[in-house]
Amino acid sequence: MASELRENAHAVIREVDETFLVKSVGRTVQTVRRAVTILDEAGSHYGRELVVYDQLNSVNYFRGSVYDAEGRLLRSLRAADIKDIALSDGFSLANDGRGRTADLRQPVYPYTVEFEYEVASTNTLFYPTWRPQYDEEVAVEHASFRVLAPINLPLRYQEHDLPSGVALRKSTQPGGLEAYEWQLSNLPATEEEADGPPIGEITPRVYTAPSSFEVQGHTGMLTSWQTLGQWNYELNQGRDELPEAVRTKIAALVQQEPDERARIRKVYEWLQANTRYVSVQLGIGGWQTFPASSVASNGYGDCKALTNYCQALLKAASLPSYCALVRADAPDIRTDFPSQQFNHVVLCVPLQKAAKPDTVWLECTSQTNPFGYMSSFTGNRHALLITPQGGKLVRTPQYGAPDNRRERRTDVYVDATGNATASIFTRRTGLEQDMYAQLTHALNPADQKKYIAEHLPFSNFSISKLAYTADQRATVPALTETLGLTLPGWASVSGKRAFLTPNLLSRWSALPATVGERRTPIWLDNAFTYTDTVRIHVPAGFRPESLPTPVQLTTAFGTYSSQLQPLPDGTLLYVRRLLMPRTRFAPSDYPAYREFRRKISAADKAQVVLVKTDA
Amino acid sequence: MSLPALAQKAAAPPIKFGTVTKADFEALPVATDSTAAPAEYLCDYGTSKIVGGNGDFKVVFERTARLRIHQKAGYEYATVRVPLYVRDGKQERVSSLKGLTYNLTDGRVTQTKLVADPQVAKEKLDKNHVQFSFTMPDVREGSIIEFTYSVTSDFIFNLQDWQFEHEIPVRWSEYRANIPQFYSYKTITRGYLPFAVQESLTVPYSTSFTSAGEGLAPGVNSQIAGLALQLRWVLKDVPAFREEPFMTTERDYLRSVHFELAGTNFSGNDYHDVTGKWDALWKLLQQDEEFGNAISATAPLAAEAQALKARYPDPKVRAAAVLALVQRSIKYNDQPAVFVSQPLRRSVERHSGNAADVNLLLVQTLRAAGLEATPLLISTRSHGMVQTDLPVITQFNYVAAHVALPNNTEVLLDATEPSLPFGVLPERCLNEQGCLANAAGRWVPLKSSTAYTELWTTHLRLTPEGDLQGNTKLEYAGYAGLQARRQIRHSSSAEYLASLGHRWSEWQPSKLQLLNPDSVHKPLGVAMDLTFAGPEGKAELLYLPLLKSLGAVTNPFTSEDRRYPVNFGMPHEYTSLVTLTLPAGYSVQEMPSSVALSLPNNGGRFLYQVSQTTPETVQLVARLQLLKVEYSPSEYTALRALHQQATAKCAEMLVVRRK
Repeated sequence: MASELRENAHAVIREVDETFLVKSVGRTVQTVRRAVTILDEAGSHYGRELVVYDQLNSVNYFRGSVYDAEGRLLRSLRAADIKDIALSDGFSLANDGRGRTADLRQPVYPYTVEFEYEVASTNTLFYPTWRPQYDEEVAVEHASFRVLAPINLPLRYQEHDLPSGVALRKSTQPGGLEAYEWQLSNLPATEEEADGPPIGEITPRVYTAPSSFEVQGHTGMLTSWQTLGQWNYELNQGRDELPEAVRTKIAALVQQEPDERARIRKVYEWLQANTRYVSVQLGIGGWQTFPASSVASNGYGDCKALTNYCQALLKAASLPSYCALVRADAPDIRTDFPSQQFNHVVLCVPLQKAAKPDTVWLECTSQTNPFGYMSSFTGNRHALLITPQGGKLVRTPQYGAPDNRRERRTDVYVDATGNATASIFTRRTGLEQDMYAQLTHALNPADQKKYIAEHLPFSNFSISKLAYTADQRATVPALTETLGLTLPGWASVSGKRAFLTPNLLSRWSALPATVGERRTPIWLDNAFTYTDTVRIHVPAGFRPESLPTPVQLTTAFGTYSSQLQPLPDGTLLYVRRLLMPRTRFAPSDYPAYREFRRKISAADKAQVVLVKTDA
Repeated sequence: MSLPALAQKAAAPPIKFGTVTKADFEALPVATDSTAAPAEYLCDYGTSKIVGGNGDFKVVFERTARLRIHQKAGYEYATVRVPLYVRDGKQERVSSLKGLTYNLTDGRVTQTKLVADPQVAKEKLDKNHVQFSFTMPDVREGSIIEFTYSVTSDFIFNLQDWQFEHEIPVRWSEYRANIPQFYSYKTITRGYLPFAVQESLTVPYSTSFTSAGEGLAPGVNSQIAGLALQLRWVLKDVPAFREEPFMTTERDYLRSVHFELAGTNFSGNDYHDVTGKWDALWKLLQQDEEFGNAISATAPLAAEAQALKARYPDPKVRAAAVLALVQRSIKYNDQPAVFVSQPLRRSVERHSGNAADVNLLLVQTLRAAGLEATPLLISTRSHGMVQTDLPVITQFNYVAAHVALPNNTEVLLDATEPSLPFGVLPERCLNEQGCLANAAGRWVPLKSSTAYTELWTTHLRLTPEGDLQGNTKLEYAGYAGLQARRQIRHSSSAEYLASLGHRWSEWQPSKLQLLNPDSVHKPLGVAMDLTFAGPEGKAELLYLPLLKSLGAVTNPFTSEDRRYPVNFGMPHEYTSLVTLTLPAGYSVQEMPSSVALSLPNNGGRFLYQVSQTTPETVQLVARLQLLKVEYSPSEYTALRALHQQATAKCAEMLVVRRK
């Protein structure tokens, strides 16, 4: 093995060969063989393997062997060594996901493990993604990917970040098969970099997808977003029949309400009050909804069932809407490569009577989500609208720096011994409030207090008050936090001086020093606006001896300012502003970005020195 | 004088399924923090009884529960999971499942029936466990849900456990176990909250029994009548359980009751001890293929052990050499276990095994090297406390090794981690007492022979420009060293140093270097050079954050009060020594004052001392010592205050004047 591959590596993938055989429109077989030399304990998870299967995927074989540093065979897996486990996700009512797993880890490094397995699938909606290097600090010596498909089922693929010289080799094979093959070698280990893209977005990879597919007798075309949407539409058609009692109830609910948006809101709130989310993960159930009548009688359903139910309820109120597939809680889909990349569904309600085109988006699985708000779970990304004419790619609502605000107003009262009390009002909007809204819904007040206590940057404090008030009237929700703190020894008093840091809660850390040159771009995907106003009530008998100098930074990365001024009434007023837009930069901009962060970190730590006036 | 009746009358059941009325929805008395909780148990009632079957006896467990769902966050409590045990082709069976959701709509109570499909919602978790789940229909905020089911089990050795305390409040939780006189069980209760009722009654008992048929002859039906012991526990108005830092495992704190079959006595005078006595357990263990017999089989490392015996006449040195041999021969797969998963020979071939594979191999190899070694049965911290009066095997989940050395000394060894020094058990084992697996079955304290110790030595000099420059050495000894070495092993030296560098980034650390990374008996050290930039411009006064930004002491106790003990596992000590040299033209303007604080009953202390040894030299010592392994809730306030005062003291600054 080349010594460059060992550098910064916990493991080296010596050889990984993946073969994907398309046997017919409805059947595929995936074969994987991976040999990995494990150099130390941090790489030892490669000594274990898990092969997943379910109702539509079965494991044909699973083998493994382990070799010592000299290449001598230590042992091979026997049937009894392979455990069959349920991949229970802990919250589903039913889940058919299972796995076969084996452990070949050794006490002495290095050693080499080799795993081979084959999975036959009758769910051809999913084709594999080839991404041989999927972990940081792991090198790849050689990798190959081979797809064999009948000529009438041509492979669709998209290449990304392939090293120069690596290219597809296509050949015709006996039996009417077309072979597609990629190979690469000697990828050195990479290290994670601060504010860089996830490794899955930068290492060589090939996405693949079928041109036509079949799942449990339902065939579909995948030549465009339109056809994928068509298949989804047909699979779920006619499942929106509501019991008469529910239809009557909905009609009565909206009868007196002329405004279109208010009608949608009434239906949505009724849904939230009368249903709940229960996950069910079984076979075709992954794509096909339970009928609306089942939700009506049980009061629960998974994301498809609740969205389908909400669509049926809106229909009963004469409001047309569309299901929209999204990839929730993960990077956005690749819009230029139509394929099944979704894991969730929401409802899109176009307003019919609005003066200009407008849309209401509904998250139907949450009983607490604000009306029309998509949050960080499903906002800022693409969705596939499922219409009778097929699929149509659209954008979900965008939330930028002006939407995601944190406005904080603090009063700190310090006494002559350094003890302080603080009252803090924090108003968060948009994506900034997502986590705190979760907190208020999922935890009781005692646990909310506990959570906040664990995340405050003080070693010595107690919380005298904590309360949240939500305001969901605007298009982005707002949440106000009222926090009362007792801070014994907040100011450090030594003799006649007291030291304090006016920025109590909003300090930003500097970035670690980089070793060598920055490789990856800078991704600043979180856009926000922060404002802090801190009024410090200085104890009687003290005056400021030294005050921090004002700082103003205006850069392409963001804008920062902080300043402290004594007011005529003897108090000190500290004002800090930070605005970060959603931006991306080239690796060469990293030193400037790091300097920006260093300056902020230094300014955020600036101290005030107070001195006793009688001394 | 009249004798008390032999059979006593049992209390009426606290709940009857299907009897929720409008009154149950009306505001309930606020006895606990229940209104703020997402949901609460109004009543949770379970019974276990032993009934006759076909050739054997069965345990029938019945549960009836009623919950109020207060908030949407409590919807998860409307999904119920029932674990079922499977072994040797026998499986626990769920029956008589009924459920009702009650809602108050327009002043009327409506009911929705549960329709559950046991086939869909049954999930095989592993070889011995199947999980059956159901979820209640039509649940909204304010709903009352009620369900009842039975589980019939052939596994007579294991009466169903009962947990009284949950993460939501419980108004009434009751468990009854009805045990006929021909069976006896050991009972283990865990937790801290007091029982409202804890009683044991003698009640009449009868059941029908069909004896096993012999050959072609059918079994004979008979009626058994006699007496039974009815055990009853009630916990009421239980607040929601919250996890706090420095706990061993939830299991130790949550109120629960467990059973272990101890003996049988079918004719009245043939008491048959199943286990429960150490002798009985020892007899079983000694001959178990996966325990005693595994050790007495031919030792796969016998040749190496013989060589070590010849090479090291001193038993202690030899034991250390055997430990090192086993540590490098086999890797622990993170599975705690009392029984081996395969013959030791095969574990050695595979270089991998569970705790029993590793440490019984250690016992075997120590013996092969001529040492007196004994397996030591342990319940790890995450498995829970042991009851020393109850030597039942399910109390244990781990095994280590005990070695008797000359002059009546002994040492406890564990080979599951390569960085464990001789005589040190991993933190998971530091859980009260372990039981020696030999004829005597003596309990051995699992006290740590070493503490968690951090020592920092820092030398700084102030430059004429007002910057601080110097170096520091961190030494992690005992469990601190073990943890640091573990961290390095799970990442790499470079990553470990980088993380430390980041932690002190304010000090611009450079030349970071590991000291003694491989000699596990010495503290693991980290040396680095430090620079702390002074203020821009020529300030007259300099405020030097000597301990403040080095962060000698932290306070992990954010919570104001504590319901359960704080368990550290071992004593802790943090010491920081700083020496500062001033250049010409500077003098000390103000020094923080020295203090010495201590906890009652020699529980710990904090010492902070500043001294000016020469006009240009200042020395600072801060030391926090926590001497006890466990602090009771009543000691919590003092413990927290000590940490608060220590962190506040370390935040004080030294003021230096430029002349």
